[in-house]
Amino acid sequence: MGSNIKIRFRIILYLLVMILIVLILRLYFLQIMSGELYAELASKNITREKTVAAPRGNIYDQNGKLIVGSVPVAAVAVEPHIVLKNENVMKALSDCLDMSYQDIKEKLEKSDVSYIDRVILKQDIDTATIIYLKENSSKFPGVEVVDVYLRKYNFGVLASHLLGYTGEISEDMLKSEKYGDGYEGGDQIGLTGLEETYESLLKGKKGKIIYEVDPLGRPVNILEETGPISGNDLYLTIDIDLQRVVEKILYQSILEVRQKKIKNTDECYNVPGGAVVVLNPQNGQVLAMASYPTFNPELFVGGISQTDWDNLNDPENYYPQINRAVMSSFPPGSAIKIVPAYAGLAEDIISERSRLNCAGVWLGLGKDFPKSCWSSHGSLDIRGAIKNSCDIYFYQVGYGLFTKYNNMEELLQKYLRIFGFGSLTGIDLPYEDKGLVSDKEWKKDYFKDQAGYSVWFPGDTVNMAIGQGDLLVTPLQMAQAFSILANRGIQYTPYIVKEIRDTEGNLFPDNSREEYKDLKLNEYFIEIIEDGLVQVVGPGGTAAYSFRNFPLDEIPVAAKTGTAEFYGRQDYAWFASYAPVGSPEYVIVVMLEEAGSGGSNVAPIVEKIYRYLFNID
Amino acid sequence: MIKRRRKKDFGDFESLDKEKRAVRFDFILFFLALAVSSFGVLMIYSATRETLPGGVTDPQYYLKRQAIWLAAGIVICIAVQFINYRKIQRYWWLIFIIGISFLAAVSLFGYEVHGSKSWIDLKFFTIQPSEFSKVFMVISLAAVMSKWKGEKVYQVTFKKVAISSTVALIFVILVLLEPDYGTALMYFIAYLGLLFLSGANFLYLLSILGLTAGGFFIALKAGLIKQYQLDRILVFLKPDVSSEGAGYNLYQSKLAIGSGDFLGKGLFLGKQTNLSYVPAHHTDFIFSVIGEELGFLGAVLVLLVLGVIVWRCFYIASNSSDSFGMLLSSGIGFIILSQVVINIGMTIGLMPIIGIPLPFLSSGGSSLISMFLGIGLVENVYIWKEVRKDYEIAYQELK
Repeated sequence: MGSNIKIRFRIILYLLVMILIVLILRLYFLQIMSGELYAELASKNITREKTVAAPRGNIYDQNGKLIVGSVPVAAVAVEPHIVLKNENVMKALSDCLDMSYQDIKEKLEKSDVSYIDRVILKQDIDTATIIYLKENSSKFPGVEVVDVYLRKYNFGVLASHLLGYTGEISEDMLKSEKYGDGYEGGDQIGLTGLEETYESLLKGKKGKIIYEVDPLGRPVNILEETGPISGNDLYLTIDIDLQRVVEKILYQSILEVRQKKIKNTDECYNVPGGAVVVLNPQNGQVLAMASYPTFNPELFVGGISQTDWDNLNDPENYYPQINRAVMSSFPPGSAIKIVPAYAGLAEDIISERSRLNCAGVWLGLGKDFPKSCWSSHGSLDIRGAIKNSCDIYFYQVGYGLFTKYNNMEELLQKYLRIFGFGSLTGIDLPYEDKGLVSDKEWKKDYFKDQAGYSVWFPGDTVNMAIGQGDLLVTPLQMAQAFSILANRGIQYTPYIVKEIRDTEGNLFPDNSREEYKDLKLNEYFIEIIEDGLVQVVGPGGTAAYSFRNFPLDEIPVAAKTGTAEFYGRQDYAWFASYAPVGSPEYVIVVMLEEAGSGGSNVAPIVEKIYRYLFNID
Repeated sequence: MIKRRRKKDFGDFESLDKEKRAVRFDFILFFLALAVSSFGVLMIYSATRETLPGGVTDPQYYLKRQAIWLAAGIVICIAVQFINYRKIQRYWWLIFIIGISFLAAVSLFGYEVHGSKSWIDLKFFTIQPSEFSKVFMVISLAAVMSKWKGEKVYQVTFKKVAISSTVALIFVILVLLEPDYGTALMYFIAYLGLLFLSGANFLYLLSILGLTAGGFFIALKAGLIKQYQLDRILVFLKPDVSSEGAGYNLYQSKLAIGSGDFLGKGLFLGKQTNLSYVPAHHTDFIFSVIGEELGFLGAVLVLLVLGVIVWRCFYIASNSSDSFGMLLSSGIGFIILSQVVINIGMTIGLMPIIGIPLPFLSSGGSSLISMFLGIGLVENVYIWKEVRKDYEIAYQELK
């Protein structure tokens, strides 16, 4: 062999060594230098994690009747980013789910966002479809049949404002601190009512499965599995039977009042809405709470349709989602007079025996500002003033409260606040309105651009004394104020959830219930006011006609009517009451929007509820 | 007298001492090939016991099959020793015809797997003719390029280059028709290597390279090679290989090997492999399984053993007693080397993804048996060289 060939062999040998070195260096780079990175990528490549829905807690009434339950249904869950790329899968889904291709595409495109991994395409699918999807899972990459829990409302629309509804969590919520932990895109959360207030207790804890998949995404091996934990159950103070009666009476009465013509006109009352609150004054438990118009929470199960949502938000339907007992405040009219009455007695503006004259017109603010009464009552003491709801008597009380200490102390506002107006009652419902008790500071701020109006006038206090002016209260605040009277100065925080129990029935410790505060009011003054309130439903009182057939001897009722003027609208009608006087069991407050006189149009509602509560035929 | 003795040199194997014959076997080459093949059987078992490719039900199906082929390979390797390799040179045209008819048969009776028609179904088993043909091509090339009777001195003439390149071209074209680009590339590398070691003038080498590049360019322009095919092949050049589409195989293979780290996840414990993320993990991507389960250590060890096998082929070639033996042995060395580089390079992202088995390790009878046929031929060159040396010594003593 020539030396030339020997050299060529040597070149080949060097080449072989070089090739081995290059391959080994490459392996060194892949395995030693990037080993950890690739290990992490590989594990991500193989393992998947999914959550298993937990049943939401049930809601029961005070007698243990199931109002809202959680039922498992099969649902088709879809990973938008996978399925959107695959037209055939969307077409096949369209066929087997009986949804149009366009609908599916739109829904998925809407959900193809970073924060949603999985979207529920259709709920409550039938068994045949479940079997078909499971058997042909290889044809449906990114599609899965899962169990979800849907809300089931055993009493339909009853108490819908209290219960609230659940819906899909939004992107903003997911980003917020409150919902930061334990939630993922597509989750159902409580959006209103008790569902919202008690979300953290109702939701339960989701189960988790970590598993390995093959390249087609089919699970092959479960690595870790934790089962879901059901949410806690709520037991309410609400009596669902009473709730049904209350809602029915409210609805029927509104229909009746809408038939009535306003005195001396051809116009009927509008009555767009109304609210009822039934409280136990001894402990603050809400026994029934109704708001009209109402809505069907079932519309929200599985996602509300756009048409339904538009209907619920159409001004012509008077916003049925608003719980008027808690979420809105209204001018209270004469129903507020219990507060100036107490303030007048407590601040020595009036005494038990002092009498003031009502001649139909009062010129205490000057000749240029005549204030009139709805009637001419002559000489009245405090009891008579309440019985007759005399405005001129209370103008004078209000004027007295204004002039004392030159209104430095804003005495009327002070007592309104003592009775709970202008601040939240603290009920366990979301979006509570605190109403408005205006004062010098408020007016200064509110009219800061109109210097002439920013001063507090004596007329402002005078008007407020009869429940007009810048005074707004919620029906629940009114009920709480009457509870305070019924309790001789003890103020309870109203509440709806009596007990919270876990799935095994263990009581959830909750010490926040039955909070109360002794307001240290003068019991004798309260008795004087109560005397007047009792006369309201008695002969000659403002609600006498409505209670003419009620057995007041057996069940004495203390009540106050209210007819509040609202600029540009018909009068707002109120009736606030408690019974039986002596050992009060119930406080009932009813308010109807644009319904005229409280004495004639609202008092009958309360009378009917008392009849039901006390078993009177 | 001398003439008679010479004839005896080349043909009369029987007259030699049997004990001496056994000792002259190159044990390093044979046992390394045996060891790495047995290791391959184990890795194939690891790769198939859970994934059961091809819908088999017996977890040991591929293990048993590969073990049988290995046994067949050993038998063939030993059987080859009973023929003097020099005889083959004279009948090279016969081997050439067998080689190309194998490949032609595939075009006529073959069936397609993964888009290339490279298998023939023989009822009881299937064979991949291009695997056997690579050995036949090496024999044919070695024969036409070596010294012939009547040649005074060994030299690489234009005639030899012309004939040999025609032979190589026929093989390459037949394989390209399947189409099997990986095998064609391997054939091409083996031919270039042989041409280089035969001592051919560099001008010849450059012309062959130039002509190939020109042919490739024309094929691309004429649309014989589509742009998307080229993209697919060249996907490995992108540093950021995506996990989808053309880069899927490479991505999964890199994940498997990379996640092996230094010591690997342990035998039978490769997740990427056992869940079938790595495609063709018992055949073309068996190295990914080794890398994942046995880590850097296992992968380098396998690489070194394969390197020593190749070195042994060239070592025997450089010490052979004639140009045919030298070229034959080198040819087998180039075949193994090019396959190792293409296959392992492919699994670690240094080479395009072109399906070609890893010698001794990939599951498949044709590959394993043809590899042992090749080893048998190299051993043959070794033995017959030693035999001649002994005989020459005896002859000298006798004189």
